[in-house]
Amino acid sequence: MSAVRRKRTTGLAAACIALAVAGSAAAQDGGEVPRMANGKPDLSGVWWGGGDVGGPGFRVGGPGRGEGPPPATFTGLYQPWAAEHAATLSDKDDPTLQCVSTAFGTLNVRMYDVGAVAQIVATPDLVVLLSETFHGYQLVPTDGRDHPPLPPARRGHAVGHWDGDTFVVEVENFTDDTWIWAEGRVSFHSDALRVVERYQRVDADTLVVDATVYDPEVLTEPWVVPTQTLEIAPFDMLFPLDCSGVETQELMDAAAELEE
Amino acid sequence: MTQTLKLASIAGLLPCLFVGSAAAHHSFAAAYDTSPEGAITIEGTIVNVRLTNPHSFFFLDVEDENGEVVRWSFEAGTPSGMLRNGYSPEVIKEGDVVTISGFRAHDHSKPNGMLRELVTADGTVYGMFGPREGPGAR
Repeated sequence: MSAVRRKRTTGLAAACIALAVAGSAAAQDGGEVPRMANGKPDLSGVWWGGGDVGGPGFRVGGPGRGEGPPPATFTGLYQPWAAEHAATLSDKDDPTLQCVSTAFGTLNVRMYDVGAVAQIVATPDLVVLLSETFHGYQLVPTDGRDHPPLPPARRGHAVGHWDGDTFVVEVENFTDDTWIWAEGRVSFHSDALRVVERYQRVDADTLVVDATVYDPEVLTEPWVVPTQTLEIAPFDMLFPLDCSGVETQELMDAAAELEE
Repeated sequence: MTQTLKLASIAGLLPCLFVGSAAAHHSFAAAYDTSPEGAITIEGTIVNVRLTNPHSFFFLDVEDENGEVVRWSFEAGTPSGMLRNGYSPEVIKEGDVVTISGFRAHDHSKPNGMLRELVTADGTVYGMFGPREGPGAR
């Protein structure tokens, strides 16, 4: 992709995202928070931003995005060498073109991975985070165990604990062959990546997610992800849809050859 | 079944056409020529609709100006989004004649494109992310 086209596309996308989020502040009057047998909030449910991609209600980002100065981004915090390396990559290098998950999440919601919807199945000792596009799952034990002694994984390994009514998830042991986002947004990371998330079900219909992303090998400082406010979706299961579509990778490679 | 290939230059596109790109799983602009020169309208016969992640594909046979049948593919939105917006696997099937407007691949010699609009024989219009009319209309 030429620099001119990239700049034009990025600017247009930013403007449209700003339009999409205007007036999207989520109401938090959705009723009493359901609780599990141990008294902790039950996070179970399908969660989204109010709609699916391209549909009514769909919004990108959390409240406040599109207002004031733009929030910091993962790549905006790259160390100089990382920024230089990122400049050598482009859309065609995006691992998700090969149905490979992201390390974080397209819309700054990690449990979405790629897509705009996720499901949580919670029990007192185990919380399961399910993503749709690549049939992803993450088991988050809350029984006090430490991170498992397993090989690194593309979505990392997670453990969780409760801080009052806030569910805290700590994820580490990532591979380094994924990107933070998809959509051709160059966002590589190292295997030192670590994520700490805080989930708060503030009412029956609303889940607030905060996250901080650490990667001291590529970032100058931790990335504090803009707060994401999700809504309970009006359905109770994700879709089981397979992933394919590597044709697009071939088209991007061909386009890149044309530009050379 | 008669199939014709029609090319049309589409100017004056809505600036926010790329909302789909901003919310899509990959950059459409990297694969497709979304300039007016890349615009294309094609009529053909559906041979397959693939509702898989990260994006759906419509495959159709199109007769070119030399009478040769060429199999085209058009990439559309995420299938989960299309389905939740009201699309159904039953509405467009093998053998249906449809007209698709969209954008060619950057390499114009390739029979691949990005779907902007699909019109069925009865005039129903679908967008990249499903129905243009009804509860999930976009």
